[in-house]
Amino acid sequence: MEGPGHAYVRKQCRHCLEPACASACPVGALHKIGMGPVIYDDNKCMGCRYCMMACLYGIPRYDWEEAVPYVRKCIFCYTRLGYGRQPACTEACPSKATIFGERDDLLAEAHRRIAETPGKYIKKVWGEREAGGASVLLISNVDLSFLTEDHSLGAQPLPETTATAMHAVPFAFTGVLAVMAGLNWIIDRRTARQRDRSHE
Amino acid sequence: MSRVRKLKLALWTVCGLALAVAVARFLFGLGATTHLSDANPWGLWIGFDVMSGVALAAGGFIVTATVYVFKLERFHAVVRPAVLTAFLGYLAVAVGLLFDLGLPWNIWHMIVFWNPHSPLFEVGWCVMLYLTVLALEFFPVPAEEFGTLAGIRRFLVKLRMPLVITGIGLSTLHQSSLGSLFLIMPYRLHPLWYSPLLPVLFLVSAIGLGLMMVILESNVTAFLYRRKPETEVLAGLGNAARWVLAGYLVLRFGDLAVRREWHLLFASGWRTGLFWLEVITMAAAPAALLFLSASRRSRGIQWTAAGLGVFGVVLNRVDVGGLAHLRPGGEFYLPGWTEIAITAGIVSAAILLFLFMIERFRIWEQRPADPDADPLKLPEFNPVDATWLGVPAIAARTTYSLGFVLAAAVGFAFLGSLPAKSRGADPAPVQQARGGDKLWIDGNLDGFGVLFPHAEHEKREGDKASCVKCHHMNLPRDQNSACSRCHSDMYQTSDSFRHDWHASPDGGRVSCAQCHPLGQARTASTAVRCDHCHKDLVPAGSTIQVKTYAARGYADAMHRLCIGCHVQKAREKNKPEMSRCAWCHKEKREVVDASGVRGEQDFVGRSVVLPAPVNSQ
Repeated sequence: MEGPGHAYVRKQCRHCLEPACASACPVGALHKIGMGPVIYDDNKCMGCRYCMMACLYGIPRYDWEEAVPYVRKCIFCYTRLGYGRQPACTEACPSKATIFGERDDLLAEAHRRIAETPGKYIKKVWGEREAGGASVLLISNVDLSFLTEDHSLGAQPLPETTATAMHAVPFAFTGVLAVMAGLNWIIDRRTARQRDRSHE
Repeated sequence: MSRVRKLKLALWTVCGLALAVAVARFLFGLGATTHLSDANPWGLWIGFDVMSGVALAAGGFIVTATVYVFKLERFHAVVRPAVLTAFLGYLAVAVGLLFDLGLPWNIWHMIVFWNPHSPLFEVGWCVMLYLTVLALEFFPVPAEEFGTLAGIRRFLVKLRMPLVITGIGLSTLHQSSLGSLFLIMPYRLHPLWYSPLLPVLFLVSAIGLGLMMVILESNVTAFLYRRKPETEVLAGLGNAARWVLAGYLVLRFGDLAVRREWHLLFASGWRTGLFWLEVITMAAAPAALLFLSASRRSRGIQWTAAGLGVFGVVLNRVDVGGLAHLRPGGEFYLPGWTEIAITAGIVSAAILLFLFMIERFRIWEQRPADPDADPLKLPEFNPVDATWLGVPAIAARTTYSLGFVLAAAVGFAFLGSLPAKSRGADPAPVQQARGGDKLWIDGNLDGFGVLFPHAEHEKREGDKASCVKCHHMNLPRDQNSACSRCHSDMYQTSDSFRHDWHASPDGGRVSCAQCHPLGQARTASTAVRCDHCHKDLVPAGSTIQVKTYAARGYADAMHRLCIGCHVQKAREKNKPEMSRCAWCHKEKREVVDASGVRGEQDFVGRSVVLPAPVNSQ
């Protein structure tokens, strides 16, 4: 990943608290499980790639070269979590650059690290509030907004953007049906009356 | 040839080309046949085939509403073509979707696995249901021709009203939901297009486009079959269209005003131009052209206005669907020829079906006469060998088949130019280390390398006798085989054995039996190991450990010689922690030379000036 200056950042799935990809997937192949990971069920996927369009971090990848392609993304090693182990990345990291824990503890640790050495980090925890917050938190001495094309992310979770439209669906449908049936009935009655009148 | 036959020949040819690409699409996957990428996961097939296809088919629900619900009987003449267009349009959408889905055989999952939060789920369901409704609405027309179907026909005609109203409801939903799809991308879609009103804008533009499409289609078919278009009826549709389009303009610009994005209208950049082109062609120009009653009745104006309108709405859907997106990394997407071929093929097939239907069934008041079936027409001959082509109908089929087969053949021939299936990293040859006492090791020449004090190591490890510790001695009397002697690609872990090279004169024409024992299958598993011939591959006293063929990471680089040794050394007292990556991989390092002068040593860049020897302890 190219970025400003010389620093390294993992462009990985943030496991959003309210994931846009899971809300977008028409068959529910992506969903967030209780422990935090947003996971992918390749048995359900039908390959529409709407998740890739919806993800504001541009995370999901696709097996473009395969005749039977699947979506690829970090699944937080959720099978390891089931055995009480950490994800492979945090377990392997020798310098505690990447750590694992409860979100509240991690948030406290992030703020502690920022406060501990003033000037070392930008005073911001990426993933704390953006688009509803995320399970993966980042602190850095480089402004990480380049990961989202320099957009300043609002606090609104992305699933809310479509929720209004989706909630309106049943009402719109019944409304349109009722209006059309009603109009049809009124117009029919009026023509019938006109016909009667012309007969008289 | 008549106009219809010329058009049909062209359409069959396009279908032939598309057939070849379709085979490649399902054999080799999306990567080989599209320009899609992780930055642009949706392209022409979604923007045009699906989104524009659904919008272009909107005429069906508009006209049925006008005629059956509002009882405007004078529009009755355009009902059947409009419903047929809608049916074929949605069929084309479904087929297009099968090409675009990565796992099209799983499309039925939408019926079983529900996610009601997803606008795409809703669109999918609506399209499935509406396609069924359209089929039922249209079925009575072909059923007229078959007496046995009269019962079903009567039943469906009775069912017409509920079907029409359900169709209107479903269309309202998914026409708008196609806009809702993009509500979830506020950071991706350009602000000139992104709006909370997207569903409404999509619905209104679909209504406008539905009307335009009926006008255009009627004029085009009239031209093809040399019949009189229903100009008066179409003028009535134009009358409605101008108000819908004017309303659309008010919504579109009003929305920009409310969102305080006015300034974007005059911003520089190609997207502003795209926006204006789109708004003018899809709404402003057609609304203006159709504004006057006299101009609405002009066939030329109808052609122009409807043509512009259709182009504009298609452009709008393609913009929202991908063109007007702000991509990660700014990667730009243009469809490949293969994508265009598939799209054109699907459209052509739909038009061919449409033409077949209007010739075979009573879509119009009168079935069009086939201009080639004129008994007074002169017989046709093959221009090459002057053989009689048969009766006109047979002659036409011969021509179409020829076009189809030739195009398919050309298509298959061009498939060879598609990128190979496994389009991995380009081969990166391994470069030898350069330098004298200090070696610059940068195998892939990317400028990030390691400066290795070779002389120092050699001295410390026991002068000439130490070569054996780190180097392969691959060839007879060889003291130091370079890495590149066996490894030819930086990013391939298992290509160090070059089979064909060994059999070649350069490789000494090694016979089969030297490696593959006689009487056994000649496979890699039965072949002798490398050190069978290369006795000194790992000479006695070597510290090289080849345990696995795949290095797990940079820590394993150079057969773990660097890190492996330095980890050991770091355990000793007062030794620097040289096993840490950043010790060697630095941009700049402060050095002090023999005479005590401090300086900076550049570690980055292809031409590294070797500094004066460092004062070692």
